[in-house]
Amino acid sequence: MSVSHPAAVITGLGTFTPLGRGAADTFDALCHGKSGLRRPPAGHLLDGTVGSAGIAPDIEASEVLPPSEGRLVDRFALMALAAADDALADAGLVVGRDADPERVAVVVSSGAGGLTTYEAQAHDRVSRGRTAVSPYLLPGMLPNMAAARIAIKHGIRGWSSAVSTACAAGAHAVAEAARLIRYGEADVVVCGGAEAPLNPTSALAFDHARALAGGWDDDPEAASRPFDRRRNGFVLAEGAGVLVVERADHADARGAAGYADLLGWGASTDAFKPTAPRPGGEGAAQAMRGALRTGGLTPDEVGYINAHGTATKLGDVAETRAVRAVFGDRSPAVSSTKSMTGHLLGGSGAVEAAVCALAVSRGTLPPTHNLDEVDPACDLDHVRGEARRGPVAAALSNSFAFGGHNVSLLFGTASTRTTRQREGEGT
Amino acid sequence: MSAEVEKFIIEALENMNYDVSEVTGDTPLGPAGLDLESLSVAEIAIQVEDTYGVKFEEDEMESVALLTVSGLVKEIVDRAAAAAAAR
Repeated sequence: MSVSHPAAVITGLGTFTPLGRGAADTFDALCHGKSGLRRPPAGHLLDGTVGSAGIAPDIEASEVLPPSEGRLVDRFALMALAAADDALADAGLVVGRDADPERVAVVVSSGAGGLTTYEAQAHDRVSRGRTAVSPYLLPGMLPNMAAARIAIKHGIRGWSSAVSTACAAGAHAVAEAARLIRYGEADVVVCGGAEAPLNPTSALAFDHARALAGGWDDDPEAASRPFDRRRNGFVLAEGAGVLVVERADHADARGAAGYADLLGWGASTDAFKPTAPRPGGEGAAQAMRGALRTGGLTPDEVGYINAHGTATKLGDVAETRAVRAVFGDRSPAVSSTKSMTGHLLGGSGAVEAAVCALAVSRGTLPPTHNLDEVDPACDLDHVRGEARRGPVAAALSNSFAFGGHNVSLLFGTASTRTTRQREGEGT
Repeated sequence: MSAEVEKFIIEALENMNYDVSEVTGDTPLGPAGLDLESLSVAEIAIQVEDTYGVKFEEDEMESVALLTVSGLVKEIVDRAAAAAAAR
């Protein structure tokens, strides 16, 4: 394939999820089938509301912000800041030293922003009166504030935005990064997504929409079971993922090694129902075809799909049909990260993009956990039980959202002169 | 009343994570001292309004931010006295 546009390479990763802080350790945990799901402990906001949740590590504002700037900053922004700090450190990139601040962009999304902080302030207003509402509420909870805080902290002065497309928000951010690099609008893009939905009002809304898994109180780790016959919904989770995406020659000029190239993106819209996908997965298939087209690859070159795979009854079947529509009889290897992290909503697409980058760089595919008996309606080449080893030339990551937003991202072998060693898993 | 108001303001600053260990009445609220963000000034104004019934209008916020701690205390005490006299 002739490349007439600048290649976009992933040079840094940061994840903050129910499996802990740090992308490499998280990938190892996924490959070993470790679950990050548990019953919310006593004292947690969701104690007594749901039987299983994906709870990320504690984080104090003072860990990521100066003392006077951390006031009322919601957890979604704190987790995004931690992931961004880690991703930039991993890339060895200091804005201003290694990149022109005006040529660095930040696109970090959230589905809903700081609703937990909003809920607490609303409660205080009712119980204590109007003066309980702080002027710091808005810069603490607006969905753009993860991107803004990262920009302020790291001196990023180029393009910035936050895409709010529910469960596709993180993937949309990565897609925007690919476009910014391809069309020459930035040399480096800090991109990703974050979500902190573990408050009772949000959890009950998802539960009452019949979206959450139920009946797994005795075994919270078993609650998220994508493509399994006994699946009955997703597990609500929180976390953030951030990637440093860089023009390949910019990375080469500073001697940075790449994990994987961000080859292409595809996006589509179901234009169907507010919360249900088109049953045939037509929108999802259109997104995957778009990613292959912008990446200049054919379906037979794709070795792995990191599925959206939330474990809802309808969603997993629609995604299976979409994969079949694009790939025919030859299914690439498929697995769902959400089987172990739960569904991080606007954070998922970014965390799963990081998983794909590591899968390509290490030649290792993490399994789908809890896939004990594959639903015949979800018949694909599932990676289950153990991680699968072997080179992966290209991988897709799917994200589909309430509202009918579909995004598929395409990853391939890093085109930088030096690439990340195949450390840890796969060596 | 002044000592009580000063204590109230310093406690409010402390609750907002400002380092108040070296704050005195002469400490400016602005860049030469505490370097309060505009939202911090607004938050203090709301708490003052709630506790002392003294209101600072939006177009006054900039000049409030240029006061010292003692200057702000005097402003609150004077306004509270004026409000009491008007009742």
